[in-house]
Amino acid sequence: MPEDHKTSAAVFASPGKVVALPQADAAHGQDHLTWAYQTHVTAIYQYIYSRVGNRPDAEDLTAQVFMKAISGMRSDVSVPELRSWLYRVAQTTLADHWREYYAEDTGELEDDVTRAPAPRENPEAVLRVDSLLATLPESYRRVLELRFLRGYSVRETAQELNLSETNVKVLQFRALNRAGRERGRAT
Amino acid sequence: MNDDPEQLDQHVEDLLQDRRPERTPLADEAALRARQTAAMLRAAKPGAGLPSKDFLERMQGSINDWVGERSARPQPAARPSRRSLLLTGAAGIAAGVAAAVGIDRLGKARPPAPSSSQQLVENGSWKAVKAVAELPDGTPIAFRSGAIEGFLIRHGQEVKGLSAVCTHMGCILNYSKFRDQFECPCHGATFKKNGQATDQYDTPLPTLPSLQVRVQRGQVEVYTV
Repeated sequence: MPEDHKTSAAVFASPGKVVALPQADAAHGQDHLTWAYQTHVTAIYQYIYSRVGNRPDAEDLTAQVFMKAISGMRSDVSVPELRSWLYRVAQTTLADHWREYYAEDTGELEDDVTRAPAPRENPEAVLRVDSLLATLPESYRRVLELRFLRGYSVRETAQELNLSETNVKVLQFRALNRAGRERGRAT
Repeated sequence: MNDDPEQLDQHVEDLLQDRRPERTPLADEAALRARQTAAMLRAAKPGAGLPSKDFLERMQGSINDWVGERSARPQPAARPSRRSLLLTGAAGIAAGVAAAVGIDRLGKARPPAPSSSQQLVENGSWKAVKAVAELPDGTPIAFRSGAIEGFLIRHGQEVKGLSAVCTHMGCILNYSKFRDQFECPCHGATFKKNGQATDQYDTPLPTLPSLQVRVQRGQVEVYTV
């Protein structure tokens, strides 16, 4: 979603429903920022984790999102605006991440910032994964379940499926590529 | 360069070990999609994807620094207050949060925790969130509406609302039916169904703020923004 770079600032500066916080009192403005952080950090982390799938990247990117958000945020945005803005910052941060490290210029999948972000992202992620796996042929689904959901090593997966380790990697490769296409189609 | 099973498996292995994968230029968009899908699958593993206690503590320190730096700079001109949504809301919740942070990090004097009778929301509106019929007697049911993450608890004809934001570091609480208490997935703080923190810390955590709730034509409405 390339236009996010431009729109993120606009959203946050939009004069829509404004939550007026006591500007004259600097302490309250600070409280607002701290509060914004406290109430969103776990959801934003989970959102990012489900896109990058590892802790070091999820931690770095989450920190970047809040650093950008706090340096740029006015203290009088409404809570829905704030939420939407945080997710947009998260998306542009993820898009930059993919571009920077994988030289791929592409947006994030499933980027509907208009939907209220799920506070309990994980159960939702599980549902999404279940419906994605259901679109795959049995052998593909099996290899992904063993590797990702049960945490089997390649060797264990090979034993379970009665395949060579090389074949497990090939099957996994095909399954992830197929699932990636299915996700692209769904959005 | 072309993507291949070996290279992709290295990436998968890194994710499964929670390591940062090597940054390699990818052949095409399909290769990226495969990795994004792998990340999504990785996150669906039970127990994956929650921030660690250590990380939240480091973040809290950084947030305090950033907020401090920011307040040292001139602020954008304030707009006259047209509405005072959340006036006490943000300040009230933040005060509770700050009090909790104070206990953990600083031990300095902090604003007092909001009393549970203090209203979280001003100038909001009533929004229907659940039908009364959906609420089992005595079992909290989670909801979200606008800015509010909360639980509804029905006792007979009476419905009460509680904030679901942990007063320790701000994670969203879960209700454990088994242990009949609210539990924080982040650091394990627990709260009774009346919102009172169960003693686990030297200084008890603030009580969960209660929410304004009413019942209209069989619908539970919450005052929210």
